[in-house]
Amino acid sequence: MATTQLSRRLAGIVLAVTVCAAAAPAAAQTAAVTQCETCHRGQADARLSTPARDFALTDVHRERGFSCVNCHGGNASEPDQIKAKAPSTGFKGKPAGQAVIAVCAQCHSDATLMRKFAPKQRIDQAAEYATSVHGQQLAKGDTRVATCASCHGAHGVRLVGDAQSPVYVRNVATTCSRCHSDPARMSGYTLPDGSPLPTDQHAKYTRSVHHAAMVKGNDLSAPTCNDCHGNHGAAPPGVGAIANVCGTCHTVFATKFALSAHSQIFDRSCVECHSNHEIAKPSDEMLGTDKAAVCVTCHGDGDNGFKAAAAMRGQIEQLKAAISHSESVVAEAENAGMAMGSQSIALREASNRLTLARTELHAFDPKPVEAVLQEGLAITAKIDAEGAAALAEMSYRRTGLAVSLAAILLVVVALRLKIRSLPYPPDR
Amino acid sequence: MRPPAVTQQVLAWLDERLDLSGLRAFIAEKSVPRHRHSVWYYMGGITLFLVGVQVATGILLLLYYRPSAAEAYESVQFIVSQVEFGWLIRNLHSWSANLLILMAFVHLFSTFFLRAYRKPRELTWVTGVLLLFIMMGFGFSGYLLPWNELAFFATKVGTGIAGAVPVAGDFMVRFLRGGDEVTGATLTRFYGIHVAILPAITTVLLGVHLLLIQRQGMSVPPSIEKRAKAGEKIREEPFFPNYVLHDVMWWYVALAVLAALALFLPWELGKKADAFAPVPAGIRPEWYFLAMFQTLKLIPSHVFGLEGEMLGVMGFNIAAVLLLLVPFIDRRPADSGQSRVLTAAGILAVTYLVVFTIYGYYAA
Repeated sequence: MATTQLSRRLAGIVLAVTVCAAAAPAAAQTAAVTQCETCHRGQADARLSTPARDFALTDVHRERGFSCVNCHGGNASEPDQIKAKAPSTGFKGKPAGQAVIAVCAQCHSDATLMRKFAPKQRIDQAAEYATSVHGQQLAKGDTRVATCASCHGAHGVRLVGDAQSPVYVRNVATTCSRCHSDPARMSGYTLPDGSPLPTDQHAKYTRSVHHAAMVKGNDLSAPTCNDCHGNHGAAPPGVGAIANVCGTCHTVFATKFALSAHSQIFDRSCVECHSNHEIAKPSDEMLGTDKAAVCVTCHGDGDNGFKAAAAMRGQIEQLKAAISHSESVVAEAENAGMAMGSQSIALREASNRLTLARTELHAFDPKPVEAVLQEGLAITAKIDAEGAAALAEMSYRRTGLAVSLAAILLVVVALRLKIRSLPYPPDR
Repeated sequence: MRPPAVTQQVLAWLDERLDLSGLRAFIAEKSVPRHRHSVWYYMGGITLFLVGVQVATGILLLLYYRPSAAEAYESVQFIVSQVEFGWLIRNLHSWSANLLILMAFVHLFSTFFLRAYRKPRELTWVTGVLLLFIMMGFGFSGYLLPWNELAFFATKVGTGIAGAVPVAGDFMVRFLRGGDEVTGATLTRFYGIHVAILPAITTVLLGVHLLLIQRQGMSVPPSIEKRAKAGEKIREEPFFPNYVLHDVMWWYVALAVLAALALFLPWELGKKADAFAPVPAGIRPEWYFLAMFQTLKLIPSHVFGLEGEMLGVMGFNIAAVLLLLVPFIDRRPADSGQSRVLTAAGILAVTYLVVFTIYGYYAA
């Protein structure tokens, strides 16, 4: 009996040493094929064989020396299925719900361990997750919500920077939409105001300027879902925080907006005019008192906001027309052969003033907008004057040349007449 | 008509010291043949006039041009926009360069078809052909000097072609570029070649060319030479003032054409060269290299196991040597008839140059 107990204790110690050694591979070396994989790959049931194959093919953990037992427990060297999954081996089976978070966190929240593999990577994903809507719902016992594996995958996990990873920057929106665009899965969830959680965010996002920048412009810095909602701590930005969220990229606009009267009034700040998921490319038509302008949603004929909107739009249109006119003057002079390099640079400067005015107007104060636009108009006036001078110079050159040509041709005719009048000696 | 009294006094003062009687007698006696082909003989005079325009406008451009990658483009921009009549000088220089090479080709082929290269004028022909090559060198080196995008990439392609020359190719590319790539060092090198080396060679060759013409007199076409040998008299006209006035009249015509081109078709400056910018569309050399450029583009990459580009470049080198040796290939006396083979070769060469230049212009 004592011998049996001693044998079991010894076996337990050996197993513990084996699991610990496997839990923290010393070097980033691909793990050897385990008994778990050998057995699972041969299973007829795809639910059992696919994880083993995916893990062997692409998984970043396997590439760094981790194996099945690091997440599932069990004895990886035991060929007997029953013995390999015996309770004494610490076998956990397929983790679900909070267990997924715990399994991932055992390494990803361990600063000492993570330093060996990805020293710059954060280790607070699990803590962040707990603050997310997903995490809070899970804590309430809702197992339909996303956990780590929902976004990163369970077997065949790739690095975030891998273009085939579901959380690669260009794939994030599609990954989120797998659940958030599914009305059946989203049924029962509501917004803070009690209305049903919409499922059209992805469709709207694909029509937005941000999506166009990322997909058509190949700008990987363009925002996707997690840039505004957070990733592990995903939640809608709260009322009052939207300007801060947009301001992480649109810094100057956010600064100007913070100075405006609107910042105190707009509950959804930027979203009030620009919407959220379906953010269209901004245009000057959004400003003013026309039907297409967003200002008239709140402002009526005669109020100060209405007047300010009309004034700012009018001045912007004035500078646009002035730039357009200056462009045609410069083009005409260039076509006539005049060097207009400095005027072309000045034209860009005038366009910069227009851009600056469009930024300034987010403070919704006509005075600074007008000041910037006046600078632009002064530049275009100078370009026009220089363009007119260039065209006058060209006219002067043409007149001068016409006179010179006439003089040259006169000399040619005179020479011809002189040559004809010259006496020729008799033939020799 | 007698010259004014002041001129007479100056001439008398000079005569007293230099004895100008020989020069006066030379001017009074020198005469040149006059016949129905005489018009072709003015082409050399027009070419010489354009060389003068190039020297004068080139010197004026030198006053403001700065030969460095950082300043070349800006200095040309300054010349055309800020310097009084700088636009006219730069346009005249650019247009005159092109007209000069055109007239040099016309002069070459008229001399060829009129058989003016035959004995005793072989060396006049050789110096003339060398001068044409030098003029093309002027064009190639001058094209880069404004340091604009088109010139930068065209020079990159042009100097790269030298790499196809067997054995010495790599050395030639590095020698031309002043390194492995076209850089500011290439610009400085081309500047030196353009304003010092080529003008020095031109001065010597042109001097010999004009001296030989003066020494051997103007040739006449074989048909007229034959009639003269048969005893028929050749019409002649005094060199001064008749021929000189004719020459001057043609120079004025060239000047009128130049002035009109300078004003109505100003030479573009384009964008500043940027080695890191993508290669712009429409890269092609100046028109006088287009025929060769287009030929090289059409030659397959490998012909009979040899590199196509190398074969093309070697072909052009052989053609250049054959052109130089024309007087030694056609050794007939000046009054003998046409050589059918040479005439056919000349017509073929002109046709090839015209067709491939036009083809290259539209293909690019």
